[in-house]
Amino acid sequence: MAKLTLKDLQKKREEVKKAITLREGGPYKAKVTVHMGTCGIAAGARKVIDAVLKEVEKSDRQDILVTTTGCAGLCSREPMATVELVGKPPVKYIDLTAEKMAKIFKDHVLGGKTVTDYALAYGSEKTS
Amino acid sequence: MSPYRLNLMICAGTGCVSNKSFQVKEALDKEIKKHNLEKEVLTVMTGCNGFCAAGPIMIVQPDGIFYQLLKEEDIPHLVEEHLLKGRPVKKLMYTPPAEPEPIPKMADISFFKKQILIALRNKGIIDPEKIDDYIAREGYVPLSKVLTEMKPEDVISEIKKSGLRGRGGGGFPTGLKWEFARRSEGDKKFVICNADEGDPGAFMDRSIVEADPNSILEGMTIGAYAMGADKGYVYVRSEYPLAVERMKKAIQQSREYGLLGKDILGSGFDFDIEVIQGAGLFVCGEETALIASIEGKIGEPKPRPPYPVEKGLWGKPTNINNVETWANVPAIINWGADWFSKIGTKTSKGTKVFSVAGKIKDAGLIEVPMGTTLGEIIFDIAGGIHSDRKFKAVLIGGPSGGALPVDCLNLPVDYESLTGAGAMMGSGGMVVTDENNCMVEMARFFLNFTRDESCGKCTPCREGIPRMLEILTRIKQGNANMEDLTLLEDLANSTKDTALCGLGNTAPNPVLTTLRYFRDEYEAHIKYKRCPSAECRELVSSPCHYACPIDTDAASYVALIAHGKFKDALDVNRLANPIPSVCGRVCHHPCEVKCRAGEIGEPIAIRDLKRFVADWGREKGYTPSLPSGPKKDGKVAIVGSGPAGLMAGWKLAQMGYGVTIFEAESVVGGMLSWGIPDYRLPKDILKSEIDDIRAAGVEIKINTSVGKDITLDEIFNQGYKAIFVATGAPHNLKLRIPGEDVEGVIDPIEFLKNYNLNKEAKIGKKVAVVGGGNTAIDAARTAWRLGSDVTIFYRRTRPEMPANVEDIEAAFEEGIKIEFLTLPVEVLSENGKIKGVKCTRMALSGFDSSGRRRPIPVEGTEYEVEIDTLIPAIGQQPNLSFMKGNSKLKTTSWNTLEVDPETMATNVPGIFAGGDVVHGPATVLQAMEAGNIAADSINRYIRGEPFEKEYKPLESVMKVPPVELTEEEITKEMDRSEMPSLSIKERNGNFKEVELGITKEQAMKEARRCLRCDLESKGVKQ
Repeated sequence: MAKLTLKDLQKKREEVKKAITLREGGPYKAKVTVHMGTCGIAAGARKVIDAVLKEVEKSDRQDILVTTTGCAGLCSREPMATVELVGKPPVKYIDLTAEKMAKIFKDHVLGGKTVTDYALAYGSEKTS
Repeated sequence: MSPYRLNLMICAGTGCVSNKSFQVKEALDKEIKKHNLEKEVLTVMTGCNGFCAAGPIMIVQPDGIFYQLLKEEDIPHLVEEHLLKGRPVKKLMYTPPAEPEPIPKMADISFFKKQILIALRNKGIIDPEKIDDYIAREGYVPLSKVLTEMKPEDVISEIKKSGLRGRGGGGFPTGLKWEFARRSEGDKKFVICNADEGDPGAFMDRSIVEADPNSILEGMTIGAYAMGADKGYVYVRSEYPLAVERMKKAIQQSREYGLLGKDILGSGFDFDIEVIQGAGLFVCGEETALIASIEGKIGEPKPRPPYPVEKGLWGKPTNINNVETWANVPAIINWGADWFSKIGTKTSKGTKVFSVAGKIKDAGLIEVPMGTTLGEIIFDIAGGIHSDRKFKAVLIGGPSGGALPVDCLNLPVDYESLTGAGAMMGSGGMVVTDENNCMVEMARFFLNFTRDESCGKCTPCREGIPRMLEILTRIKQGNANMEDLTLLEDLANSTKDTALCGLGNTAPNPVLTTLRYFRDEYEAHIKYKRCPSAECRELVSSPCHYACPIDTDAASYVALIAHGKFKDALDVNRLANPIPSVCGRVCHHPCEVKCRAGEIGEPIAIRDLKRFVADWGREKGYTPSLPSGPKKDGKVAIVGSGPAGLMAGWKLAQMGYGVTIFEAESVVGGMLSWGIPDYRLPKDILKSEIDDIRAAGVEIKINTSVGKDITLDEIFNQGYKAIFVATGAPHNLKLRIPGEDVEGVIDPIEFLKNYNLNKEAKIGKKVAVVGGGNTAIDAARTAWRLGSDVTIFYRRTRPEMPANVEDIEAAFEEGIKIEFLTLPVEVLSENGKIKGVKCTRMALSGFDSSGRRRPIPVEGTEYEVEIDTLIPAIGQQPNLSFMKGNSKLKTTSWNTLEVDPETMATNVPGIFAGGDVVHGPATVLQAMEAGNIAADSINRYIRGEPFEKEYKPLESVMKVPPVELTEEEITKEMDRSEMPSLSIKERNGNFKEVELGITKEQAMKEARRCLRCDLESKGVKQ
């Protein structure tokens, strides 16, 4: 490793910062939660989360949180995902595929527009 | 770079590593691979998280889920549930003591809530072995700023402005020290990081080095630039291998990046750092000794001046700062002196890192703003005292610091306040002790440490410490006199004033502070041959025996039960106690608080064992043998047949005196009979033991009220040589709130008495009881049995309730509601009849002299509750009507009698007093203790002997050989036997005894759990 100049150090920081933001717990602009209960996994949630992660990488955004949770209760409509933009109500999507997820990511997560064709409803159950 | 979905931050501090956190990581990596999650989930080994008691620890980010006490076998389940399915695993989370549900997020756990991180800002977020992680967290931004925008003088003035003071102990202003070093003439200058942390219980500096070595390197580089040094040393003891390794790695990586070495960041500034490993001498933490050690000489201190800033390492100007001080420097440069100086107190700015250890629930590493009180650290952050015992002292500053008592819990942590209290900030080691720690032993322990660590160069330290140690050892053995205390104090003060270096100057601090705050403990050892904490083995036969106010040798009878020798066990009980069946049910068992088995698991169920043998003896018809001593001249009268009176009567009868107890009521036993309900103490059991006392020669005259039917003078006129007054404290105290003199507000004593004696009780449907003592709980549980809906209002919280723990738990089980932090402020009524009560919520504020938090009303939280009965049970006072015709007896402002506590003698010759009438409402056992002492004094009085006693160390009654334990009993932690009890349904509507008594098998198994401390005691009979 060559010795760093001031500029190198700055560049280095920009580069490594991405790895750390996740650990600092925010702030996030968007959160994508893939429901991965047994039903979700059986219906193909794995492919859906892979798609999300791929899109996040492509977008090069550091402020999108991808997380998983359990069964949403509507097992017949799995795979499901919830997209929540800061300050907006969460939206639940149903019957997802990798392709649908990619579209939701582009339109909703990045573009801020709900993909009504795939959406089930606004809102989320209260978890207190 | 592919984005990870989750980062698993696994603690790799020394504590967690020794609990196998690396194995946990390996297991995680394996499972993650198995589920093909390597690209989504990253495992990161971090520095010390701080919550060491719960290690190994892992935080799942970004959600901040906190997992604790992880084991390899938990990992497959954890990975599948949480990482794959997104269901955090509850059973691996932290559940606070006394809470039903775990807390998932780290930020919500009280241990972390009150902390502010500056020195530990990167703890748990970065991998300490990766400089990139440090850089990502603003690392080397401050250095860049210093090298490009600031002159050395600017750096110094910024540090001066921040108010940063040395975190190693003394608290010298860092900026000022740097200025001296800068001004010092010299062709070469050095900076040194002192990481020679060595005091027992301290691990702050080690944790900082392990968690974030780069912050220290950056701080040192900034300091070197400011002072004009080009070489630095990190002096760290070789017992810290992980710290050494991480520091070396960090230096290596910094050199590769050009952040150390020649021409740093192209600025033309040269600076390099080397790690020097010390051999682990405590004195090498002293700066002149540390310098000698780096120079390759013997680690001995030198007189100052000259100070190292003038003439230090190899005679050159040298600035030494401690690990934490250096770690603060980059933060101050980055966020500014103004930001830093806003945190903390007037004289002490910023934060302080403490390692908190000892008798607390949550040991670990914390960083708090200066000015946080000791009480907040011990109770809010560290979770309070282990097993809810009483706090005794906190040792702050290790062997150089001092022991601060309960009165200091409100003391804010800053340099001046701690020094004022006789301790010192030190580097930040905090050891908490509880009521079972002897302060004389504590002083001896630390002095023993400093004696071993003293280099021997100067006479005061070399000779003074061993002499002090000799005196302390004599005190512990009960072989000292009061002059020794003066000598000890003189020695301590002269060593403090005349020793060459900080080690000797501060070594006497533990002695001086314990003498200042705990002189009574020293005096107890010397005068009474007692160690109040039951720790000094030379004086203590066994902790349980010792803890019993009437000297029941529990260790011996527990051992006999283990052997199946129940009759012998009962005999041991009856040597000290005429009412073992009663005490086996209602005693507050101080023996169990002192039980050593309770230090690591649950204490032996000593009370349950006592009850077992007593019940066994009664069922077998095994009556006690009567005393066979010769009859003595002289009759003794006793006023009151409660536990104090019964005890004194029994003892005096055994000595051969004729004893008459005058009892005002129609039943015998005082509070035992009409105060304690049947479901705790059935009347026939009490009666059978009172019969035993009668059989021993005690005459009891019921329905004879002294003061009304007969006066004290008349008793003397009837030929009684002495009188023991044990009339108890049956007067209930009022709440002193508006409106309480209405129908429906009832006296708990009258209520219990009426019910227990006459089975009459006027009670409503919706009852509120006020108070947290045994009377309150008894009244509440009685009302519940009579079919009322009962709520208890208590102004503090559960751990502060003075009632027996078992009874509080039973009340909860029975569905009695307890509203904590609630105080009635007004009784609401209609037509002279209660209709409700107005309450206010309370909040706990600072600590009072008992170490409990003072409850204060919260404004605007008043609310009304509808009730038809209010039972105020907040305290009782004696009824002094027996004094009629003899008002010469001295009373106190509490309306109790004044006696000499050593003899129970009142100011009137021949009249003695004890029990609740003297100390206010207390326990059965305390009353019996008073009866015991009074009997001895009455004997001396009648025989014309002096009251002064010769105190001797307590010896065990007999030596019982140990039982042979099975392999399982030796290796496994055995559970405490559980008391069988009536189901809630079976209790409702009746007064049947709730606790059913343990079985023979349970009893023997439980007794076999005993650790047999008595066999190790020096006081045991051979």
